[in-house]
Amino acid sequence: MGVAQDPANVGRMSTLALLLTQGVNALSQAALLFFLGVGLTLIFGIMRIVNFAHGTLYMLGAFIGYSLVRYAGSYWLALLLAPLAVGAIGTAFELGILRRLYRRDAHAFLMVTFGLALVTGEAVRLIWGSDALQVPSPALLSGVVFLMDEPFPVYRLFLIGFGVIVAIAMWQLLERTRLGLLIRATSQNAEMVHALGVDVKLVRSGVFGIGCGLAALGGVLAAPLVTAAHGMAATAVIDAFVIVIIGGMGSFLGSLIGALLVAFVQVFGNYYLPDFALAFMYLVMLLVLVVRPGGLLGKEA
Amino acid sequence: MAEALLQVDNLSKRYGALVAVDNVSMQVGEGEVRAVIGPNGAGKTTLFHLITGVVPPSTGSVRFAGSDITRLPSHAICQRGLSRTFQLTSLFPQMSARENAMLAAQARHPKRWMPFGGASVFAQARATGEAALAQLGLSRIADRPAGLLSHGDQRLLEVAMAMAQEPKVLLLDEPTQGLSVEETAEAVETLAQFLAKARLTVLLVEHDMEVVFRLAHRITVLHRGAVIADGPPAIVKANARVQEAYLGGME
Amino acid sequence: MPKTNPLPALAGVAVLGLLMAAPFGLPVFAMTLLTELLILGLFAMSLDLMVGYTNLVSFGHTAAYGLGAYASGYMLLNSSLPLPFVVLLAALLTGVVAIGVGWVCTLATGVSFSMLTLAFAQLLYAIAFKWTSVTGGSDGLAGIPRRAGPFGLTIFTSKMGFYYFALACLLGAFFICRALVRSPFGTVLHGIRQNEAKTLVLGYNTRLYKIAVVAIAYALGGLAGALYAPFAGFANTELLFWLLSGQVLIMVIVGGQGTLIGPILGAGFFMLLEHQLSSYTEAWALFFGLIFIAFVLFAPEGIWGLARRLFARRGLPAETRHG
Repeated sequence: MGVAQDPANVGRMSTLALLLTQGVNALSQAALLFFLGVGLTLIFGIMRIVNFAHGTLYMLGAFIGYSLVRYAGSYWLALLLAPLAVGAIGTAFELGILRRLYRRDAHAFLMVTFGLALVTGEAVRLIWGSDALQVPSPALLSGVVFLMDEPFPVYRLFLIGFGVIVAIAMWQLLERTRLGLLIRATSQNAEMVHALGVDVKLVRSGVFGIGCGLAALGGVLAAPLVTAAHGMAATAVIDAFVIVIIGGMGSFLGSLIGALLVAFVQVFGNYYLPDFALAFMYLVMLLVLVVRPGGLLGKEA
Repeated sequence: MAEALLQVDNLSKRYGALVAVDNVSMQVGEGEVRAVIGPNGAGKTTLFHLITGVVPPSTGSVRFAGSDITRLPSHAICQRGLSRTFQLTSLFPQMSARENAMLAAQARHPKRWMPFGGASVFAQARATGEAALAQLGLSRIADRPAGLLSHGDQRLLEVAMAMAQEPKVLLLDEPTQGLSVEETAEAVETLAQFLAKARLTVLLVEHDMEVVFRLAHRITVLHRGAVIADGPPAIVKANARVQEAYLGGME
Repeated sequence: MPKTNPLPALAGVAVLGLLMAAPFGLPVFAMTLLTELLILGLFAMSLDLMVGYTNLVSFGHTAAYGLGAYASGYMLLNSSLPLPFVVLLAALLTGVVAIGVGWVCTLATGVSFSMLTLAFAQLLYAIAFKWTSVTGGSDGLAGIPRRAGPFGLTIFTSKMGFYYFALACLLGAFFICRALVRSPFGTVLHGIRQNEAKTLVLGYNTRLYKIAVVAIAYALGGLAGALYAPFAGFANTELLFWLLSGQVLIMVIVGGQGTLIGPILGAGFFMLLEHQLSSYTEAWALFFGLIFIAFVLFAPEGIWGLARRLFARRGLPAETRHG
């Protein structure tokens, strides 16, 4: 994880430097989690379903990214193509399968997206094997930058920057454009939108695809940091769910807040109490589910 | 003054700035049929939710048979003897009408949780359930799945289920909701007859004034969450504020 | 009350007879498969109690399996307790832990409940990796013996003896579940499944019932896991991986939820794919997932549910109620 976490160095670092280092770790983690969470919350907002396959699609993004980096030689290409590919897969899935379920109950959706998760997970294992795969970060973003005599990985700073840019772009898209208006309107009152002559089905397919693409984007971005591995999927879907629960199902701002909260808890929790990190996560999720089932800014109880 | 069977004191429910129930006080005596009426949004169903523990009140208290039930969870309140029906029909659609009534009856049995056998529990539930169905004229459709019953029969089944619990107080939330004119007339007759026989204490939310005048001993009128009138039907009918609330007076 | 119809009972007796006679006719490798089927079937059936009867969809049922396996494996390796005792004790331990799990998970409902069960399984998975002294870490526990039974009975160390023990466990669990779903407790579960809100309003403390179901389901799942450890001779973190939670859920759905027998068939179907298809293609698990999706879309009542419906249509009276 780098120089910053080497216990031998702890005594040597000032508190400010420590906070800064861990802060950067947390913010970059938050960026990744944001991509995960915002996709899930978008899908929930539009379709009122929890996409159980979200974590697996995140993983798929990482593996596709690996292949694109390895065989096409360009990380930037991977960053562009992997989300598109996964988004397309998501849209196809919605068109072919999810559409048949709109008259059924919420459980059927959960089961089917779960089936997708399983099938995708197995497909990944068949195509890429069972081992974790290293994805090198692009030359432009490797190396470290020194601030206050402490090294900061450039890649992490890039993640933070990229996350901020995308978050702002999405916010603008949702608030200022017609597409954004359409998405927000459909998530609040689909019938009304339908009555106004808009093809709601198309909006749903599109948003589902976008949500899946965002998850994959998170995966590609995460790959150089954590390696593409199979355990990613289950952790990712839980993380995504926790974020959305904390921030509120269907709330864009909520997913941002949730991502920040979860990332900081994870990073600082991991630093001070490494063995309890997972249990801590579980506890936070529990607390939020109990205290505010609708999340901090959510729509559904 | 002796405490009434159901004593509601200064009950309020606020959702932020919205006051759904505003300082409501009521005393319902044993054997009384009390109708709670008011225009849409007056807070009648919320009042029911507060009394039966579905929603916690912001302030105030509810006392039943001398003990405070204000903060009890809804299932505990039901066990004390208050059974209710809902505005939106809520049944077990895949179970037969009889099975619906039996499950309701079983809830009051001390051994309702038995994980094996239970022949005596079932026998008792069956007897009580079938009796409740009979009281409401539903014996003929006892074997039909509840989801396939007519709307009118479903509303009556809800009442039968509440009856199968042999409650001390029955809370009916718009029992004739969604019924046609004939169905309403039939339902009211059935209700009137068995209420007369059973001498139950009943709290009734209704929109249909004909039903109210046919069944109620006393009426409480709510408007914007607060009580604006409380008394026998004739007096309430003549009350000016009530007439105003209903925009142009009542029939 | 189910109509008395001799056909299911006769069929059951016939199947039981076949199962009892199996060791005398089948070759050794078939016996191993059959034993595995009994264990997996038990695992799936235990989940049906939650999913099919109470609508508690768990995505983390492998937590029960893994817990039972590690518990029994650890006890067999580190003590001299007889095998049947260890297996039952491991199941009991799993059930006790599950009370806590159930208490926590039932704080939420619906999807949140499902996510919490998954989170708990993940937690157990992480603990299994880290608690090396007890669980053997990523290597797991190996060389788990099939210890002799009480009073020096060596019957359980043989394949045949172990098979009968597993069969007895499955039958015992089946009859317990069957009695449970037909009892007053079971009737409340039916109510929770069809309309939980109404069940609560009728005066049932539905949360307690749900916690009880989780505890029993996990205990029986733990029983399956506890049998697996001495059967396979090892217990490792694969038993706690989320994939297995998914596969057992699929067994329940494809086999037929809410029927107890269906999930056992689902387990059989799964094993058929695993053992037959795996010789043709590595993608058998993928096919299993695709078949699952197909069933959810087109035949949600599963194989056994379909069969029952077919029997009913042909005029052969089917049971009017679940189980």
